[in-house]
Amino acid sequence: MTAPSLSPSGLSTGSRLATLAASPLALALMAIIVLLGLGEMLSPGFARGDQIIRLLTVAALLGIAAAGQNLVILAGGEGIDLSIGAQISFGAIIAGNVMNGSDAAIAHAILAACGATFLVGLVNGLGVTLVRLPPLVMTLGMMAIIQGGLVVFSQGIPSGNAAPALMGFINQPALLGLPGILLAWAVLIVLMGLLLRRTALGFAIYAVGANARAARLVGLPVRAVRTLVYGLSGALAGLTGVFVIGYTGNSFISVGDQYMLPTIIAVVIGGTSLAGGTGGYVGTVAGAIALVLLQSVLTTLHLDFWGRQLIFGGTLLLLLALYGRQTGPRV
Amino acid sequence: MTGTPETPALPMPAPTPLGPAIEARDIVKRFGAVQALGNGRLTVGRGEIHALLGANGCGKSTLSKIIAGTHAATAGSLLIEGRPVRFATPREAEAAGIALFYQELSLIPPLSVAANIFLGREPRTRAGFIDRTRLRAETEALIALFGDTAGPGLTPDALVADLTPGQRQIVEILKVLSKSPRIVIMDEATAALDARQVAVFFDILRARRAAGVSTVFISHRLDEVFALCDRVTVMRNGETVADLCIADTDQDSVVRLMIGDVRKAGRRTRADRPAAAPLLQADRVGGGRLRDITLAVAPGEILGLGGLQGQGQSALLRGLFGADPLTAGRLRLDGQPVRIRAPADAVARGIAYVSGDRVADAVLAGRSIFENLAAAVLVRERRWRVGAGTLAPRLAGVAASLKTKYAGLDDAIGTLSGGNQQKVFIARWLATGPRLLLLDDPTKGIDLGAKADLFALIRQLADSGVAIILYSSEEAELLDQSDRILVFNGGAVVTELSGPTLDSFHLTRAAYGDAA
Ligand SMILES: Nc1ncnc2c1ncn2[C@@H]1O[C@H](COP(=O)(O)OP(=O)(O)OP(=O)(O)O)[C@@H](O)[C@H]1O
Ligand SMILES: [Mg+2]
Repeated sequence: MTAPSLSPSGLSTGSRLATLAASPLALALMAIIVLLGLGEMLSPGFARGDQIIRLLTVAALLGIAAAGQNLVILAGGEGIDLSIGAQISFGAIIAGNVMNGSDAAIAHAILAACGATFLVGLVNGLGVTLVRLPPLVMTLGMMAIIQGGLVVFSQGIPSGNAAPALMGFINQPALLGLPGILLAWAVLIVLMGLLLRRTALGFAIYAVGANARAARLVGLPVRAVRTLVYGLSGALAGLTGVFVIGYTGNSFISVGDQYMLPTIIAVVIGGTSLAGGTGGYVGTVAGAIALVLLQSVLTTLHLDFWGRQLIFGGTLLLLLALYGRQTGPRV
Repeated sequence: MTGTPETPALPMPAPTPLGPAIEARDIVKRFGAVQALGNGRLTVGRGEIHALLGANGCGKSTLSKIIAGTHAATAGSLLIEGRPVRFATPREAEAAGIALFYQELSLIPPLSVAANIFLGREPRTRAGFIDRTRLRAETEALIALFGDTAGPGLTPDALVADLTPGQRQIVEILKVLSKSPRIVIMDEATAALDARQVAVFFDILRARRAAGVSTVFISHRLDEVFALCDRVTVMRNGETVADLCIADTDQDSVVRLMIGDVRKAGRRTRADRPAAAPLLQADRVGGGRLRDITLAVAPGEILGLGGLQGQGQSALLRGLFGADPLTAGRLRLDGQPVRIRAPADAVARGIAYVSGDRVADAVLAGRSIFENLAAAVLVRERRWRVGAGTLAPRLAGVAASLKTKYAGLDDAIGTLSGGNQQKVFIARWLATGPRLLLLDDPTKGIDLGAKADLFALIRQLADSGVAIILYSSEEAELLDQSDRILVFNGGAVVTELSGPTLDSFHLTRAAYGDAA
């Protein structure tokens, strides 16, 4: 008997693709290179240094928000945060109001935005762990509540705008030609790595995601961990909101909406399992960059928002189908 | 050429009357860099019950899965009833009349017993819908094979998640039998069954043998093997080293072939020590099916929990640990009243609990062996930093004391054989240096050598002042290790055996409820 070409689950066509997808990070890096080449072909200058920095800045906004999504998904229990987009808008509006154009108030703005969204995130977490609402329902409801609240309280036209220093931090080179936000993202990447690989909290997030029952039986506080990741996801969305208003100058009530779906796709592209328990942030970073590149290439092709939505949704389903193949029969 | 009635799906030549049921030759299986099988050979005659033995990680499950189409062999040839075959999926093997009892079970816990047994093969009405009446009736009939040994709660509509580990094994057995296979492979199907259930199971296998069914029987309980099997194949490190007739050999020779010499310790003799004050006292505790249980265990003592399976032994251990908190009665630790509402409370007080259900309760699936080992230590020692630095060698040391076989600590837990996973979960708790060790059928799936090592270690712990409460589905193990045995029936303690009454006769009598 020579080695049968069929994999144990009998998916001969899927098996080769699955092997390729075995390293999602490698796949995402490949996608990045291909998309860069494609962009350069379609529109010469696409891959120029300053263009790449501009793309990375957009990727950083997505990547920071996706860090929170990543934590929520890793902790399992069908965890997902659909309120991230609304929380970004919420953070941006709070920050805009607190700063109101003054450099002196930037720190306050960050604290206020992150603090408020952290609390909103904790409410998400408590809804999931104590009231036992499915995460999808809880965070979708929260999204609607925030969106409604923002409309009611701002009468549709939020006041406030970004401080000049914040706008400089995001749009002007600070060090080695890189804007401050890329440095901030680099710091976050390191912090996420340390959190996930070197701290008890990171260990607990993985353990809870891998098998909540087993995690409880070694004495880990499963509910507290799950509640906390929603809080962290909120705070990271709030921080993204602050940077978003710095990027655009002022905010509007749906400024964050476009981030919700991409955070999930970036996490999935990066190889974090939607079932929880496996994956990490480096993959998500690559996923965020690949996604922003894809978006940019599609824009070069003059695809509008809805055309891009179509492609994004398709990408997500394709990836889930691809990665899903890896987990064959569990025996 | 006529299709055989058993396999209407595939037109195939009638089985050659002379070929053996299974003939696996020179099977090699590699998982990446790991070679699981170097030279797997197995020949099983028709209507034979054939034991497949070997230490943990020697390749028994891998060979079984290759025969049943779950894994594809890297090299080698497989003949079923004389015909060369190459199964791409378990379905194809099933169509050829082969069914495998999966060591880690193939059940879906949120589904009912009936749905699990007939998954994908449900009886249909003429309109093509699932025929629920027949589904239930056929499941009922299968469960009836185990009669009253099936224990309370094993009904067609019960959810698998709510069953005891032993009952889940029965469901997996019934799932295999429901396929009416001509060849069955039972991969540690008795690991969680008690003596009565094993007896019924063997009668079923013997009846099938009389009807011409061939069986491969994998177990680490040699008594069972010698009571049931006709022939035995012994494996060692991925290679088949012997194929013998049971009548021509004995347990000692087989053990030597499997693992070399085992220093099996005899009956535990309690060192005469001044009666220590109890470490843990339970006063009329209850909850769930438990009723009014009073017990005390002192440092240095090994307290056994006996009785038929599912009479409350596991429930008590889970209750003491806070996994399913006790609702009635009082607990005292070192004489001080304590409340243990969750496992975290127990861990903080130096209590450790090895669950009898490793897939549901212990495996951090997809995580590394290191993480699986470190889980309890990190909590117990309230570490906030996780560095492999000093922790990894320490944990590797504990794992090595149980002869855990693995390639690297960073490998996924799923790459370990069943018995080696179980060793990891025991080591996880031994590493915490507990004061009270609750063991729920801890030797499930681990080989004879490792068992001897484990109990040597446990006695050592006891001698150093740890209190131990042990439940085992294996009577001999319980009798050999325990200083005293509390016999359970219907959620209550019916008798305590110690000294002269600590023997098989009294244990059996008490378990069946006719103790004086
Ligand atoms: N998916 C896998 N990936 C890598 N290695 C594996 C995998 N499955 C099994 N192995 C390795 O193959 C060897 C044989 O494993 P197998 O499960 O067949 O052992 P076993 O004889 O059934 O042991 P046990 O008595 O513990 O059940 C082990 O060393 C194991 O680590
Ligand atoms: Mg095995």
